[in-house]
Amino acid sequence: MSAKRITVLALVVAVVAVLAALPLFVKKDSTINLACLVLLYVALASSWNILGGYAGQTNLGHAAFFGLGTLVARFTWLGGWPLWAALLAGACVPVIFALIIGAPAFRLKGAYFAIGTLALAQVLYVTVANKWPLITSLPARYLATYRLMPRYYLFLAVAVFTVGVAYFLVKSRLGLGLMAVREEEDAAESLGVSGLRHKLLAFGVSAFLAGLAGGAFAFYHVGYYPQFPFSPAWTFDTMMAVYIGGTGTVVGPIIGAVFYVLVKELLALKVVEAHLIIFGILFILVVLFLPGGLLEAWSKIRSALGSRAKSRKAALPAG
Amino acid sequence: MAFLKVQGLTKSFGGLMAIRDVDLELQQGQILGLIGPNGSGKTTLLNLITGFLKPNAGTVHFMGENITGLPRFKVSQRGIARTFQLTKAFLDFTALENVMVGRVYGQQPAKNLAQAAEESLEILDRVDLLDKAHVKARNLTLMQRKRLELARALATKPRLLLLDEFMSGLNPGETEDAMQLIRQIRDSQVTLIVVEHIVKAIVGLSDRVVVLNMGEKIAEGTPVQVCEDPHVIECYLGKAVCLK
Repeated sequence: MSAKRITVLALVVAVVAVLAALPLFVKKDSTINLACLVLLYVALASSWNILGGYAGQTNLGHAAFFGLGTLVARFTWLGGWPLWAALLAGACVPVIFALIIGAPAFRLKGAYFAIGTLALAQVLYVTVANKWPLITSLPARYLATYRLMPRYYLFLAVAVFTVGVAYFLVKSRLGLGLMAVREEEDAAESLGVSGLRHKLLAFGVSAFLAGLAGGAFAFYHVGYYPQFPFSPAWTFDTMMAVYIGGTGTVVGPIIGAVFYVLVKELLALKVVEAHLIIFGILFILVVLFLPGGLLEAWSKIRSALGSRAKSRKAALPAG
Repeated sequence: MAFLKVQGLTKSFGGLMAIRDVDLELQQGQILGLIGPNGSGKTTLLNLITGFLKPNAGTVHFMGENITGLPRFKVSQRGIARTFQLTKAFLDFTALENVMVGRVYGQQPAKNLAQAAEESLEILDRVDLLDKAHVKARNLTLMQRKRLELARALATKPRLLLLDEFMSGLNPGETEDAMQLIRQIRDSQVTLIVVEHIVKAIVGLSDRVVVLNMGEKIAEGTPVQVCEDPHVIECYLGKAVCLK
């Protein structure tokens, strides 16, 4: 194992350990709630990135898969299923949905695929709002025993699992094929890679992880309208986090989600609604000038500093 | 049994007949040269054989099996690889990663990515790109990208390799090197169809030559036979080139 890999591994263990220990020294519920939100967005951003970043298919309907996860998990859990079974069901139903719509949707390319997924998500949003117009609240017996800690750890587990799946997928043979399809589908197919199968795989994995995050949300939230998780805002917040961090990388969505959620909370407190305008402008700037996101900015800064250090060394007299 | 057998292949785009009733037969271990003026249907024929286009009529048999209309990735999995006239490298991949895709998804795939990388380096060495292994494809010159595409196709361990204008844009010295490389590939048990504009290269390389014009096969034979064919001279080559 190379020194770099050991450093990365140590860093991962340290970060997870700190997050696991967080509730021991942070007692304020509002802070834990914020941490839950950050972890939820890490999971959503990483799962979106598998299809959007690695397979290069812009999915504007991610909220539909997240929403389906909340819907299925919430109703099965409140219906008496054990939590693990409800979470699993909440993750699997979106996969079925993704595979059913994937085959026709992937006949659409680029912008048409994006618009198609957006339309589909909107249809679900409206349908759910009509079918379940009433708020879903936890029954009194659940409320009496409601504790934040298990929710926090569930979000942590889902986020770690999602990032882990993304990491191992990317480092695998399938990840290589997936990225080849993104880069140049004709060439990938000429080498024996099935574009459709790889895109469906990415879509399925992405939907599974989004549904899992949805299940965690359903377990966490005390009361919400069932259509709320289907709102397109979830998709766009997620995409913003991915783009700000850097698409097509494992670390990008994590950095983007942390940055996005924290700055958004801060701005929402200070400037209220104006934070939407600020993020809108930020998003445009990132797409135009920093397509690799914060990760690209970081590597640019590093190489700029590196070359300056080098030239300074070169300028020094020899000896 | 013919290695590759094309019968009555026909393809039209709207009213335009791109390929009309073309027959083709290829023996294992041969190099078939495919020539013809611009728009004569050479690339269309390659696209029909490799599954990039579906024919309106006709069949393609490869090693005795009917592969007509098979999805293109399945054609590749049968052992037919190709390069593209306008190169289609994976631009954000390094040269090594480009070749690894072929090594991982081709015939006798590598067991793991580490082994794929190792074998891919050998293939890069064969096309003289070893020193560019860790350079991104977008930073390679056009000539290097062409050789990269060749390496990527070779990485699938094909039985039949289709080269679409691999030598266009090369200077005479480079053409000589490229011809040498193609002969080496043939000697490693790979059958080739070579589409080319450079007549000297086709004549020098091919065991047999097929000439297309306006989507139809107008001549076929050894390079010398084809060059002496009055139809070919009339429509395309010009005497001076042939008799040199």
